[in-house]
Amino acid sequence: MYVAVKGGEKAIDNAHALMRKTRRGDESITELTVEQIREQLPLAVDRVMNEGSVYDPELAALALKQASGDAVEAIFLLRAYRTTLPRIGYSEPLDTEAMQIERRISGTFKDLPGGQVLGSTYDYTHRLLDFTLLAEGEAPISALDPETSDEETLDACPRVLELLNKEGLIEQSREADEADHTPADLTREPVNYPAERAVRLQNLVRGDEGFLLSLSYASMRGYGDSHPFAGELRSGRVNVELVPEELGFAIEIGDLFLTECEMVNQFHGNKNQPPQFTRGYGLAFGRSERKAMSVALVERSLRAEELGEEVLYPNQDQEFVLSHSDCVSANGFVSHLKLPHYVDFQSELEMIRRLRREIAAATDEENNK
Amino acid sequence: MSTATGYNFAYLDEQSKRMIRRAILKAVAIPGYQVPFGGREMPLPHGWGTGGMQVTASVIGEADRLKVIDQGADDTTNAVSIRRFFATTAGVETTESTAAASLIQTRHRIPETPLQADQILIYQVPIPEPLRFIEPRETETRKMHALSEYGAMQVKLYEDVARFGHIATSYDYPVMVNNRYMMDPSPIPKFDNPKMNRMPALQLFGAGFEKRIYAVPPYTEVKSLDFDDYPFEVQRWDENCAICGSDHSFLDEVIIDDAGSKMFVCSDTDYCRSRQTNATESATATEETLS
Amino acid sequence: MAVLTPTVNSNALIAGFDDPVQHGQQVFRALLKAMSEPGTLIELELNLATPGLLNNSTWQTLLSLLDADTQLWLSPRLNSDERVTSNLRFHCQSPIIDGSKAADFAVALADELPVLRDLNWGTSEYPDRSTTLIVQVPALSDEPHWELTGPGIESRKTARIAGLSEEFRLALINSRKRFPLGVDCIFCCGSKLLALPRSTQIREMRPEEGEA
Repeated sequence: MYVAVKGGEKAIDNAHALMRKTRRGDESITELTVEQIREQLPLAVDRVMNEGSVYDPELAALALKQASGDAVEAIFLLRAYRTTLPRIGYSEPLDTEAMQIERRISGTFKDLPGGQVLGSTYDYTHRLLDFTLLAEGEAPISALDPETSDEETLDACPRVLELLNKEGLIEQSREADEADHTPADLTREPVNYPAERAVRLQNLVRGDEGFLLSLSYASMRGYGDSHPFAGELRSGRVNVELVPEELGFAIEIGDLFLTECEMVNQFHGNKNQPPQFTRGYGLAFGRSERKAMSVALVERSLRAEELGEEVLYPNQDQEFVLSHSDCVSANGFVSHLKLPHYVDFQSELEMIRRLRREIAAATDEENNK
Repeated sequence: MSTATGYNFAYLDEQSKRMIRRAILKAVAIPGYQVPFGGREMPLPHGWGTGGMQVTASVIGEADRLKVIDQGADDTTNAVSIRRFFATTAGVETTESTAAASLIQTRHRIPETPLQADQILIYQVPIPEPLRFIEPRETETRKMHALSEYGAMQVKLYEDVARFGHIATSYDYPVMVNNRYMMDPSPIPKFDNPKMNRMPALQLFGAGFEKRIYAVPPYTEVKSLDFDDYPFEVQRWDENCAICGSDHSFLDEVIIDDAGSKMFVCSDTDYCRSRQTNATESATATEETLS
Repeated sequence: MAVLTPTVNSNALIAGFDDPVQHGQQVFRALLKAMSEPGTLIELELNLATPGLLNNSTWQTLLSLLDADTQLWLSPRLNSDERVTSNLRFHCQSPIIDGSKAADFAVALADELPVLRDLNWGTSEYPDRSTTLIVQVPALSDEPHWELTGPGIESRKTARIAGLSEEFRLALINSRKRFPLGVDCIFCCGSKLLALPRSTQIREMRPEEGEA
C-alpha cells in the first residue's frame, strides 16, 4: 500500500539518459561540433570563460555543448573543472598598455595618440533580422571585403587615463604604495569583509554578467552617485609572462585576448583634496565589452566608502554585491529549493496546525462564555 | 555513470584537503565558532551539499564506511547522488546502516539510532549564520559573536511567544554550544536538537558557498534556546509510523489518494527497516517457541 | 617578521610518506581524534625515518598539515638543525619565519618553548587565526598530574606531559580565561601524541590526589 515517494538510483539514470536525448535533438540534423561553437559562437564562449575563470576557448565551447547552450550550466562545468587544476606558477602582472589593439574607443576625446579603431562590433548595426543567414547561410567573407584585414592592429599605445594623469586630473591608484603586497586570491581564500579592491575586482570579473549589468544601470539611473565617462575601451592580445624559479627571468608563455575598460568618474573633492576624477576599472577575457564596462561601473560604486561618499544603495554595499554576484552560487542556492524539504515542511505543518487548533479552541471558549 | 579517472582520491586535490583539515581542527578547538575556509567548487551545485562534501572528502579514508542521508532517507535522489560520488571517487564502502557507518553525511536529519564514539556526523549547511535573518551583514554578526551579543535572537523568539503563545521556529532552531557560541544546527527539525547535546560522536558542519566550517566535539553541551516560562519542546505526533509502528520517531506525512488521505511513516528509513526486521525476527522466534 | 630561507641540503633529505594521499589522511584522522577528544593518548601506526631532532609523531604531524600556505616557526635548536629545515622546506614548502607571533604553526622542543603570549592567540572576531603549537616532550602518559575537563571529554581525564617549564604550565592554564582566544597544543613523544585545544580546562592535581 505504501508507494515509495523516494526517487533512487534508477530515476537518476533514466533522467540523465533523457537529458542526453533532449540535448541531441533531431538526429537527422547534423551534430554541432565543439570547433563550430568555438569559432561561430565566440561571444558565448567568452562569457563562459570569464565567469568560469579559465581562459580556454575549447573547453568553454565543450561546456556550452554539454550544457545545451545554457551559459550558467556551462560556467558551472568549467568552474568545477578549474578547481581540480594544480597551480604550477604565478604569471607576472599583465601589461595592457602593451596590448596589440584590435579595437579601441574613447568617449572622452575625439582624437588621441594612437587613434581610435572601431574594430569588430555590433554597435552600429541596425538590429534587423538578417534573413539571408536563415536562407542561404553567411555570404563568403571575401565578398564582404573589409577594408582592414585581421592582421591590421594598433601597436602599443598609451592609455587614455594616462593623459589625464599627467595633468594630475585623475587620482593615483590608491593601493599603488603597497606594491609588494600580494593580493588575496579569491579562489583560495574566503572573502573577508571589508574586502580590498583587488578582491572586489576578482569577484566582479567572475560575477554574473546580467547581475552586474543591472547594477550598473541602476547606478546610472540615480541609485548610486555615478556619472561616468568611458575613458577608454580597448580589446586585443596581451602577452603572458612567467618567471621560472630556475631561470630567474621572465619568459613569454602565450597570449590572451582581453577587453579592458577604464571609466572616468567625477569626484567633488574634500577639505584635503581638490576636485579630481576617479577611476573605475574592468578587465575581461575575450570580446566581453558589456562585462568589462559593467565591472568598471560597479567597481567604482563599491569604492564609495573608500572615497568618503555616503553609502545609500545596494550597488555601493560590498557585502550585498560581492555575496550575490556569483552565478554558480546563486543558481545553486535557488535551484536547491527543488531538493526535498519534507522534514522541514513537516515541522512547519505540525506547528501551523497546532497554532490553528489552539486559536480555534480559544475562540470556542470565548463564544461559549 | 561517469568514472572518476583523472581525479584525486575523493576528488579534491591534497592542498585543498590540507587547507580544509586545518580549518576542521580549528573548528573542533573552538566549538560552535564558524571558521572561514577557502571553499572550492564541487561538481554539484552550491546549496546541494557541497560544504558537507568538502568536509567528507577531506576526512574520508580507505578504512571508512560511508552513509549518506537526505531527509533521513538513504534513497532520496540527492543522497544517492552524493553516495555514488564518493563510491566512485574514493572507492570506499558505503552502507545504509547507521550503526555500521564510520562517517555519516546528512542533510536535514540526525539518525534516530543513537550515534556512538568514533563515528563522525557531517552536516550539509546552507546558511551557517544563526543571526543572518536578524542581521544580514557578516561584519555585524562577527561582532555579535565576538561579544556574545545574542539578545536580538532572544527578542525574535520572544516575539513569537507574544504572538502565538509558542516559539514558532520548528526547524533550524538555534542552539548555544558549550555556553559560548550561538550555532545554527542546519535545517534539522527541532525534534533532533536534543540529540546534539553531549553526543558521543563528533559533529562537523560544512557550508560550501558560505565557506564556513564548524564543529561540536563529543560530549559537548548543546542547549536549544528557550525561556524559563516557555521551555524548549519538540514536535510530537498523534499517529504512529504506519510501517513499523514507532511512536517516538520523526514522521513524514504521505498523501496517499486524491482525497488527501494521509499516512505517517518514519523519515529515517534505516531505523524503520531495522524495527521491521526486529519485529519479524521476534515474531518468528515467538512462533518457533510456540510450535 | 622575516622569512628565513635556509638552503636545502640534498644530502640531508629523507623520504616522507610512501603514500602521501592515504598516509596524510590517516595521520589527519589521528589528529582529529586527538583534538576532538582532548587528553586522549594516540599512537600513530606508521613508523617513518625522521629528520634530525624530530621524532616520529612530530614529523608525521607536520607532513600531514603543513604546506606552502602555512608559516612555520621553529625553536632555536630545531631551526639550526639542517636536517630538520632541509626536509621541512623540501617536503612541506612552508615559509620558515623568525617571529613566532605570525606563525600558523610553531614547533618547539620542550626545553626551549616560546613564551605563550609571543604566539598568535587570534582575535575576538577571528579566534581561528591563531598559532597551533607542536611540542616535542620527553614523556606522555595518562598519570594523574593534570585533570582535564571540557568539550570532547565525557567527565574528566588525566594526563602527564613531561618536560614543561613551570612558567609555561601556568601560562597555559591561565590562558583558558581568555577563551575563545588562545593557542591549541599538540604534544608529541615518540610515536604518541596528545592534544590540548584551547577549550580544555586544566587543573594541576595535588600529589595526594594521584594516590587515590
